Amino acid sequence: MSSAAPLIEARGLGVHFRAKRAVDDVGFTIAPGRVVGLLGHNGAGKTSLMKALVGLLPYEGTLSVLGLEPRRQRVQLLESLCYIPDVAILPRWARVDQLIRLMQGLHPKFDAARAETLLTRTSVRLSDRVKALSKGMVVQLHLALVAAIDARVMILDEPTLGLDVISRKAFYEMLIDEWCDGERSVIVSTHQVEEIETLLSDVMMLNEGRLVLSISLEEMDRRFVALSHDAAEADAMAAAHPLLRYRTPDGAAALFDGTPPDAVLARGRRVRPSLVDLFIALTRAPEITPPSLRS
Amino acid sequence: MPTWDDKLPIYQQLADLLAAGLLEGEPAEGEPMPSVRALAGRHLLNPLTVNRALQALADAGLLEVRRGLGHFVLPGARARLKEAERRRFLHDEWPRLRERLRRLGIGAEQLTWEER
Repeated sequence: MSSAAPLIEARGLGVHFRAKRAVDDVGFTIAPGRVVGLLGHNGAGKTSLMKALVGLLPYEGTLSVLGLEPRRQRVQLLESLCYIPDVAILPRWARVDQLIRLMQGLHPKFDAARAETLLTRTSVRLSDRVKALSKGMVVQLHLALVAAIDARVMILDEPTLGLDVISRKAFYEMLIDEWCDGERSVIVSTHQVEEIETLLSDVMMLNEGRLVLSISLEEMDRRFVALSHDAAEADAMAAAHPLLRYRTPDGAAALFDGTPPDAVLARGRRVRPSLVDLFIALTRAPEITPPSLRS
Repeated sequence: MPTWDDKLPIYQQLADLLAAGLLEGEPAEGEPMPSVRALAGRHLLNPLTVNRALQALADAGLLEVRRGLGHFVLPGARARLKEAERRRFLHDEWPRLRERLRRLGIGAEQLTWEER
């Protein structure tokens, strides 16, 4: 990540619920101007980590968000941070213009004119009531409301869950076009890895509470090598200990952590490693492994 | 959602896409390119990726960076692209095509320039 002072810094971060460790000894930094994807299966700790970042859960370890301690300085933090939780709801009876006025009263850095401008991108009108909007429109409204806050960090927990493809595209288009300005950073958690891969500058993968990978996409392209190969080379590829073997539209492929020996490289064609394949390799979901095979 | 293949880095694929537009005169020489954010939003790409693509086009002598104003299409960009395309065809595509024609036993006299 860049050398500018980080917006978020975590060391030895842990969150637990009684005996269960939801987030376990996690460390990372997030520099300004990044779009960070937080990936993990259900129960991997994504929501708990995000809640710790916004001061909604007690944690162990050190955590600094915009130079503040989320748990102790939550009110101050929320002036420069916006958050859409996974269970976000807007009051169904409210009209859009009423919500804008409400936000204006609640948040010192909320810009009502900006919210209205953002809404012109959507089909949401100021006179609409929330209950009359489609699910996709509600999420866009929500994004317009938080993006009109002059904040430096945005945290989005599964923002597009349950939306159709057009609404998901419109959501990310507004986020990239209207909010990311090279200084602000976004953390977005999702299951739909392939859809946001190209939006991201960095990726963090959680598996059972632990951070199994935290890397920029540029670095990921350098470090991980994917080789597409003919079926006849399958044994040679397997013998070179890939992280994962998988199929592509063009045939078989193998994913390596680091560059394999030249003799192996020569047996395949180098392709761009996909985030989905890497995700599968590093976070094999325990729920899909039959109990008899678990170690 | 966008579809990029896994053969080339994404910034390179975007650069190729934008170059194809330039070859069609979109945008015209002397005109500004869309902003990084507009391109990032349209193609759902990280702005850093878009920057790299524009940088690659600037390095190829197709765009110039005007401080604070963005990227502009250089005069002669189309001619330069067309020349590069011609070279690529003659060096890469034509030998493969010739080989295929030879295998299929198709001679020059069987090829027609008229579109049906």
